[in-house]
Amino acid sequence: MVRGNVEGPALVCAKAFSFLGDVDMDTGEIIAHGHEHRGKSIAGKVMIYPETKGSSGGCVVLTTLARQGRQPAAIILEKPADTNMVEGAILAGVAMVCQPEQSLIDVVPDGAAVAVDGSAGTITWRA
Amino acid sequence: MLDGGHGEVIAQAMDYLVQFGEAFDARCFVDVSYAHYPAEMSIYRGSCEDVIEYAETGAKVRIPTTSSTLACDLERWSEYGCPQPIHDLQAKAVEAHRKMGILGTYTCTPQLLGFVLPKGSNIISVESSAIIYFNSVLGARTNRGGLFTRYAAVTGKYPLTGYLIAANRRGTHLFTLDLEPDDLAHDSDYSALGFYIGAIVGSEVPVIDGLPMPTQDNLVALGAALATSGSVTLFHAPPHTAEANTVDDAFQGGEPKEAHTVRRGDLHAAYEKITNISDGEAIDFVTLGCPHYTLGQLRYVASWLHEHDATAHENMRFWICTNRMTKRAADFDGITAAIEAAGGFVVCDTCPVECHMRKSTCKEFGLPVPQVKAMVTDSFKMARYVGDLIGCRTAVRPREACLRAAVSGKLE
Repeated sequence: MVRGNVEGPALVCAKAFSFLGDVDMDTGEIIAHGHEHRGKSIAGKVMIYPETKGSSGGCVVLTTLARQGRQPAAIILEKPADTNMVEGAILAGVAMVCQPEQSLIDVVPDGAAVAVDGSAGTITWRA
Repeated sequence: MLDGGHGEVIAQAMDYLVQFGEAFDARCFVDVSYAHYPAEMSIYRGSCEDVIEYAETGAKVRIPTTSSTLACDLERWSEYGCPQPIHDLQAKAVEAHRKMGILGTYTCTPQLLGFVLPKGSNIISVESSAIIYFNSVLGARTNRGGLFTRYAAVTGKYPLTGYLIAANRRGTHLFTLDLEPDDLAHDSDYSALGFYIGAIVGSEVPVIDGLPMPTQDNLVALGAALATSGSVTLFHAPPHTAEANTVDDAFQGGEPKEAHTVRRGDLHAAYEKITNISDGEAIDFVTLGCPHYTLGQLRYVASWLHEHDATAHENMRFWICTNRMTKRAADFDGITAAIEAAGGFVVCDTCPVECHMRKSTCKEFGLPVPQVKAMVTDSFKMARYVGDLIGCRTAVRPREACLRAAVSGKLE
């Protein structure tokens, strides 16, 4: 969906993620109360989550993170991406793949090495 | 453009747009004739710096480009307590906009400033209430623009995607109105209707059957609310909107996925749901002008205040938000003077939720959070956002009841 051939450790989130509010825009640390990965960083990770929620301002958060080198390596969405997230991913140089053939949330273990090719739309992983 | 023949800046802009088009399987690019640009705001970190840097590249817009709201009133910022750093940084972004050829409209209602695009125009716009008006009332075609509005404005191109494609403009949900004329007497009633429907359709395309002949102001209010409780980008209200004379037209001959009936009780419930102030409670903020008021609406406020020999209650923040072009006309007609003599404040370029009064902005700039306890407004959109962003309680009432609250200091 969005170009980029990258590899990184999986960060698997069961619920919809909001870049505005769920993550510290300086450090990339997840700050949302009650989030399963609160305190962990999204920098360099391959984020796997169902869908993006929240304000279109999330796009700005992604580019702000990228300016400091704290952006994720790739984003894999189970549902279709909205235009604002795609814009943010392009500007931030984050590869993106949407709607994989099978749901990965219960399949890919957290921390597994995941390779993503945004142009080809392929995802491979090893635990 | 992509090969650098028009310079590096344009090649970069085209490359972003090509990637965007690829992501959404666009077949080709189209020419866009107009852009409404997301003005960079000094309440967002790095945002103004970004456009200042971009303007340095010499990039210029190729199509008429208006700009959305700012974080302060550029002329009267000091009169309502805006901190100087927020203004000074914002003013630098405005210089950058001028350098790029972006028009300094700074409004959420550019469609009321002469940008009345012909039906079928491909355009790109930000600001959900303007987007839905362009698409629905005028029949121009735009997606929900974001940061890439900049790249469309400097190239005049946009990938053929989403609402630019006729088949994607088909209605999905039918809403049949079972209402009396009294139920839609005020702009705020249209706001209630939009808020009710938007929550049901989410991001799809509602068709509203049985809407009595609306005014321009009614449709602005309806659209803004549809795009608040849902992310509605287009609605049809045959025969009053551009693309559908009949319900059949609106569904392009197809069937609705869902059909609903809207009754008086649904609108009452919408008012009750958004309001968390009780009748008789003290009010310290009245906001009119979401979306930015028209000259006709400003005239109404001035006349009402004059006819009732009214003055705003002590310590009342009483804001009427509009854009500078409209305010200049209101100044000329004595409307601004009449409103301000009665204790109102006619604000340009911004609004309560876009300015320094946001809790998060105060935190970031180390400012004291303005103490607002309870706001009355005639807009469901304002009410929906102000609760979270400023952290006050809210009520929605028709315009005249808002004016009475501004005078009495109490909700009625």
